[in-house]
Amino acid sequence: MRSFLPPILLAALVLVSGCGGSVTTSSTSSTGTTGSSSGSNVMAISVNGGPTAGELNGSLYPNGAFASATICSPGSTTNCVTVNNLLVDTGSTGLRVLQSAVASLNLPAVNASNGSAAYDCATFVDNSYMWGPVVQASVTLGGETANNLPIHVISSSATGIPTTCSNGSTLNENTQASLGANGILGVGSEPTDCFYEGGSVCSPGSGLSSPPYPAYYTCSGNSCSPAFITTADQVTNPVALFPTDNNGVIVELPSVSGAAATISGSLIFGIGTESNNQLASTATVFTLTCDNFTTDFANNVYGITNPVTCAGPGSFIDSGSNGLFFPDATGIPACPSQTPAGDLSSFYCPASTENLSATNSSSNGTSKTTSFSVANAESLFTTASTDTDAALSGLSGLNPTGFGFDWGLPFFYGVNVYTSIDGQKVPSGAPAAPWWAY
Amino acid sequence: MASLGGNVDSVTADRAHMNASITVTANNNYNVHQIQGPEGTVVNEYVSSTGTVFAVAWHGHFIPDMQQIMGSYFDQYSAALQSQEKHYGRHPLNIKQTGLVVQTGGHMRLYVGRAYIPSLLPQGFNPDQIQ
Repeated sequence: MRSFLPPILLAALVLVSGCGGSVTTSSTSSTGTTGSSSGSNVMAISVNGGPTAGELNGSLYPNGAFASATICSPGSTTNCVTVNNLLVDTGSTGLRVLQSAVASLNLPAVNASNGSAAYDCATFVDNSYMWGPVVQASVTLGGETANNLPIHVISSSATGIPTTCSNGSTLNENTQASLGANGILGVGSEPTDCFYEGGSVCSPGSGLSSPPYPAYYTCSGNSCSPAFITTADQVTNPVALFPTDNNGVIVELPSVSGAAATISGSLIFGIGTESNNQLASTATVFTLTCDNFTTDFANNVYGITNPVTCAGPGSFIDSGSNGLFFPDATGIPACPSQTPAGDLSSFYCPASTENLSATNSSSNGTSKTTSFSVANAESLFTTASTDTDAALSGLSGLNPTGFGFDWGLPFFYGVNVYTSIDGQKVPSGAPAAPWWAY
Repeated sequence: MASLGGNVDSVTADRAHMNASITVTANNNYNVHQIQGPEGTVVNEYVSSTGTVFAVAWHGHFIPDMQQIMGSYFDQYSAALQSQEKHYGRHPLNIKQTGLVVQTGGHMRLYVGRAYIPSLLPQGFNPDQIQ
């Protein structure tokens, strides 16, 4: 399934795809970084296996897009560190970085509404969690800076984590080894990590009698309790705090035929604010319901059925999911639970690669059909290329019936994907944010 | 402690714990008790005709209190999480053990999940209905 394209064909591929980026196939060790997009609103990203990729045996992070950020004390240009290998995640919001990476900066605490230092508990789809203080920093991505940005420092210590945060999970991803990254750069469709549908239930003005959890906490000694915190002090989407180009992002990655060792591309800031981030005439805009849209696949409709309770099998685009995950509506076999690469039963293992299509639509009446491939995940994980191929276009797995379609990073290969931010001003003619476009 | 595997009274305990409203939908050989917390998270508890909670499902902006809704199955759930094969990359969770199935999905601020006890499902009941 791997392609061995000579350099001249590679150049043609990049030009034809119209996507800033480059592909490095198979055993070639160098990584091209000559994206076609440039400007202060452009940040280089790379699907390169992450910080542990050089280590032995299965430690490569497949289908993760990574980037660097410069993190400084608020307002400083000298008390700074550059943190690489941050996972670019359009499915979450806010910058979360390992404590070890920023400890030297002594960043100032951000307080919750009760006046005590705030702690954030971020929970993820696999029931993993991250815990740690909210602090303020100036964060530069590409050539753009968010000053006084509340970020989440992932505590290296597990002491004091409330049980309502861990919630039965032992997956505290607070080291590079457990996370496979130095942090998560959440540039999703919301302005903060506790904001949706135009408001924040974590803010003291939410009308709730007690703070929702797991979200924000304050602590007395080792005893931590849920707390309200103003929207401005919540862990915030860095893009939303840029002085310009702050209404969303475009992820640009080249197409991948089968597998590639490394691919490089761009995260563009702003939509319709510069010459390099205009909404393409070929792009279809999908407004969001409960931060989801609808996918029709194999005569099944996966979309939110109740916009009030957000019930229903919602579908979504998420660069932080590392494959395409969807209900088994066509009888694709799951992988065995015992393989040389461990239990792969959450992934699909068709006898040969299947080429399928699905149609995405949204409440604003737009729709677009997308083709995708499902490769044999056991082959992807156990062939000789396992330790070197970071971009696997056909990596797919099971999302149970009732959970919808999760369009992870392979969806982004060769397609420019726009994510606009809830509440931000959008280009004239476009519907109110949040929306996705591709 | 209540819920999965517990009796119908445990649903009441969950409702109180979540400071929630509750509605009951009757079906052929089971009832669904829907509990909604003030922050919007919905937990559906599936109760058999003999009064046992055989499945729970949730959706909402916050993951519910798993200790509360998993009841006596909480430790098994927690142990299963710990024994999951580690592959880098974020994707839906799919724990399938003989006595317990737990599946989760979604993304930040809209989580979905279900847990059920295969041996307690009513006759003819398709677990895909649990949502």
